[in-house]
Amino acid sequence: MSHVHRPARLLEPGLCLTLRPMAYPVFFEMYRAAIKNTWTVEEVDFATDVADLRGRMSEAERHLVQRLVAFFATGDAIVANNVVLSLYRHINAPEARMYLSRQLYEEALHVQFYLTLLDTYVPDPEERHRAFAAIETIPSIRRKAEFCMRWLETVQGVDRLDSREDRRRFLLNLICFAACVEGLFFFGAFAYVYFLRSRGLLHGLAAGTNWVFRDESAHMRFAFEVVNTIRREEPSLFDASLEAEVQAMIAEAIDCETQFAEDLVGGGVAGLSVHDIRQYLEFCADQRLTTLGMARRYGVKNPLAFMELQDVQEVANFFERRVSAYQVGVTGQVVLDAAF
Amino acid sequence: MDRDTTTSEAALAGEPTRPDLSVSTRFQTSMRVKKRSGALEPVDIHKIVQAVDRCCAGLDAVDAVRVATRTISGLYDGATTQELDLLSIQTAAGLIAEEPQYSRLAARLLSTYVEAEVELSGVRSFSQSVAHGRALNLIHERLQAFVGAHAEELDAAIDRSRDLEFEYFGLRTVYDRYLLRHPQTRLVIETPQQFFMRIACALAESVAEARELYALLSALEYLPSSPTLFNSGTRHEQLASCFLLDSPRDQLSHIYQRYHDVAMLSKFSGGIGMAFHRVRSRGSLITVTNGISCGIVPWLKTLDASVAAVNQGGKRKGACCVYLESWHADIEAFLELRDNTGDEASRTHNLNLANWVPDLFMRRVEADAAWSLFDPKTVKDLPDLYGEAFEARYVEYEAAGLAVRTVPARDLYARMMRTLAQTGNGWMTFKDRCNTTCNQTGAPGRVVHLSNLCTEIVEVTAGDEVAVCNLGSINLGRHVNTCPDGQVAFDFEKLAQTVALAVRQLDRVIDLNYYSLPGARDSNVQWRPVGLGLMGLQDVFFQLGLSFDGGAARQLSRDISEAVYFHALTASCALARERGRHPTYEETRVARGELQFDAWGVTPSEPERWDRLRADIREHGLRNSLLVAIAPTATIAAIAGCYECIEPQVSNLFKRETLSGDFLQVNRYLVATLKRLGLWTEATRNQLKLAEGSVQQLEGLPEALKLVYRTAWELPMRSLVDMAAERGAYIDQSQSLNLFIESPSIGQLSSMYFYAWKRGLKTTYYLRSRPATRIAKATVDSTPTAEPIAPRAAVACSLENPESCEACQ
Repeated sequence: MSHVHRPARLLEPGLCLTLRPMAYPVFFEMYRAAIKNTWTVEEVDFATDVADLRGRMSEAERHLVQRLVAFFATGDAIVANNVVLSLYRHINAPEARMYLSRQLYEEALHVQFYLTLLDTYVPDPEERHRAFAAIETIPSIRRKAEFCMRWLETVQGVDRLDSREDRRRFLLNLICFAACVEGLFFFGAFAYVYFLRSRGLLHGLAAGTNWVFRDESAHMRFAFEVVNTIRREEPSLFDASLEAEVQAMIAEAIDCETQFAEDLVGGGVAGLSVHDIRQYLEFCADQRLTTLGMARRYGVKNPLAFMELQDVQEVANFFERRVSAYQVGVTGQVVLDAAF
Repeated sequence: MDRDTTTSEAALAGEPTRPDLSVSTRFQTSMRVKKRSGALEPVDIHKIVQAVDRCCAGLDAVDAVRVATRTISGLYDGATTQELDLLSIQTAAGLIAEEPQYSRLAARLLSTYVEAEVELSGVRSFSQSVAHGRALNLIHERLQAFVGAHAEELDAAIDRSRDLEFEYFGLRTVYDRYLLRHPQTRLVIETPQQFFMRIACALAESVAEARELYALLSALEYLPSSPTLFNSGTRHEQLASCFLLDSPRDQLSHIYQRYHDVAMLSKFSGGIGMAFHRVRSRGSLITVTNGISCGIVPWLKTLDASVAAVNQGGKRKGACCVYLESWHADIEAFLELRDNTGDEASRTHNLNLANWVPDLFMRRVEADAAWSLFDPKTVKDLPDLYGEAFEARYVEYEAAGLAVRTVPARDLYARMMRTLAQTGNGWMTFKDRCNTTCNQTGAPGRVVHLSNLCTEIVEVTAGDEVAVCNLGSINLGRHVNTCPDGQVAFDFEKLAQTVALAVRQLDRVIDLNYYSLPGARDSNVQWRPVGLGLMGLQDVFFQLGLSFDGGAARQLSRDISEAVYFHALTASCALARERGRHPTYEETRVARGELQFDAWGVTPSEPERWDRLRADIREHGLRNSLLVAIAPTATIAAIAGCYECIEPQVSNLFKRETLSGDFLQVNRYLVATLKRLGLWTEATRNQLKLAEGSVQQLEGLPEALKLVYRTAWELPMRSLVDMAAERGAYIDQSQSLNLFIESPSIGQLSSMYFYAWKRGLKTTYYLRSRPATRIAKATVDSTPTAEPIAPRAAVACSLENPESCEACQ
């Protein structure tokens, strides 16, 4: 096996190390764009969060936040695990592996962010430990974790994608983590944060989550770009049975997430009903299916008006919050006559 | 909190009048609301529709049924009536991006809600609200006496219908942050109109004046700055916005003395500018201990923590900007203070940073020459010199070999540009221009050492004196007339009246203000500076259908600024005749006959009126050494419902993040235009979202209108700089000028700031850029091609490599 020659296909087993000529510049550009959006947990300002939790939120809303934090505490770590055990191993392009390395760092950063959040929100060490145990002890979270683990296991023991069946299994794993885990579980969780933020609550959580969301959006775009590449290279993989499996997988993910919603807002949170959340998930699911070139299944509109907020540009007043839009990595030289 | 409010309470009690609603019965069968008494009652959709409907008068594009059904779908069984009311308000607000009239509806629902909350405290009139506030120890004795003496007249002057002027964002901001609250229950104890009247009474000297000022404020034609709105008529009337402190002396005890000053000033709101030019740099010998100094970074780290700890009276976050001259040997470390990577011990995430740049530096950049960095300990007088004197001394120090290091001027300039691009901070402000054009530097020894937190205040400081400024801004968008023939025109007469009233009010603040430091009082009563500013310039252009940087808009912008300066001087001269000139008047450039535009070499448009004014000033002097300053107006523009200061719109569709939550804004002028063209559809809205609020790719929109509705990202920055310079001839302080480049390169920035300096701008403010990657659009219904696959940075225009740039060809 050569490390020098470019494999004919992205999923051809091996360890390609050649970056010139570059076979997949789009992955390299994604890597570079990700670098420009570096942020750190230290920049997040939690100053008003604890006061909000104590003084401005109902018991039901506090429960919602606790559950959310418990989900976030382990969610990103599971995704990171899949990056290492599946994606990095099988996507045989050095520029894609560069992106995945960056993604891995970002997942760790997210874990660190939610750890800091947990330490800030939950003063009791015992309770902090319990948040990590949620993945086993709280049914609505356990069900989501089991879903992830099941799809993680489908590629366990597969060292090389030699057969068509191997590649098909990998493809389903990839789609599951992009469309279901990042595209539904995380999108669902972000919706709760944006709901709270639209009420002016928990600015620290919202600010950090905004950055996490930006990262996760990029991860999803990368994964779908990989899917598209595979489609170009081996279109026959995308047959009716694959679509049927994806549809079933998405339906199950929506069920898992709906159960989570029942747990989260079951105490009564004005402005968030399980019905609306499920419809929002169905709306998101249609988006994922469209991106995958598959038939839409639900045909519903987004019912959560506050999600419109996150689609439009932020104009932070610096008295209020730190602006989260700046770029890292600026190039060029001093000249005095460039156009501007 | 046990409370109820009118909307739902009335809804539960009222008679259903619309039996034909085709609404899901899901809600009516299962949902119950908890009344104030604790009793549960079934939700009746009809009654809620009725309550919303009462607020819909004159709003032809809103749908009360839609608001009611969506409200109920977000409700849970057993929710309180208060939750129901709040939810109906939020539901209406959630529809604003689709139809801007929902902003008015949400505001009216909120207005009803607030009135009910105030009534819970038994307050039913303005005078009762003041008396209640006094009983709670919130209100100033002086105000209580004034209102008590004229209760009937003042109560009658309250005009509740003025609440209709508010957009939702404005009223929400007032409710969340400005209305006085009961110290324990946190219930508001005044309505928005009572709040305006409180400010008017606190700042007026007679009932007639109070009524005049109330009329101005409640029409949202002019608003004082936030500290004035927060504190007028309260027991701590700290009404000023800006404080400028010269650098601490190069001594441990004096540094901490300054930090104490900063904390005291922050406590009662107000932003701080502080210079750091005099503190020795890293590696300097500490004689007493024979140790080596660590330079300014550790001190600024301490200041950073202090600023975070003192949030302005618990109302908004403390804020401080540190100024450093470009020759200070710690300049490179200073420029890295806001980086988000690197050693946290050398990072200050809460401080703002500004460069105080001498002309000599810019000339060395131009000549691509070397630049020397000094330890202030060895060049003690540089902060107090400007112009030729500075240059002579600087060159002398260079020749004497005192420089700690010498670097290529362009290397340092590039670092400044990088900091701007990466953090938006490290504002470029020009020391010599600020000094040579400042009215307060007429006498030798008077020096401007820095600007303020928002780079619009330019005042001298000396020793422990603190320069102070209180601000207010005119909403230009409310100074436009539609004549009977349909002609739309800017109303210069109304502007003149507003300026006259505003200057009087700003001048009054100087005497009323509570000064937490004696040094602040001393300087303020000597100089009596005020900062009258503008907001809503973009609104004027939209109303007149003008492209932001077209010839007509540029002319109007210039004329407005000239008029503001003219009428402000006129008002200050009248005050001088009435009450005397400010004590340091003889020291000023105006006393020598020099007005601001003389320093710019500009001739005003109507020389005769200026000649008459000059003659008046010669005779009576001025009450105020400085009059005009264009502040960023972030919060008060939100209250007034207009675009900020002199800024172009940032997007046709954007959200504003504030402590009260996120608010969605859509350009209502654009919506009106699109409706006229039959283009305001869901497809258009999605396109707007996907295009980040740009209309340039919108099909069917005529090119001329695309020009009008450009965003700040789509305007040439050269135009913004030119317009700022044209305006600058009539601004005796300065302006908070933000610049916008989506994906900046060093070359673009170095050229832009060089041009700004060449055009004679005194200061610039944030550099705004946009993130390199984007959040996925969660609510836009995507087609396979609509979801952007390639990151934007990859296609960004690179003017330095035109051959590789495909975007422009």
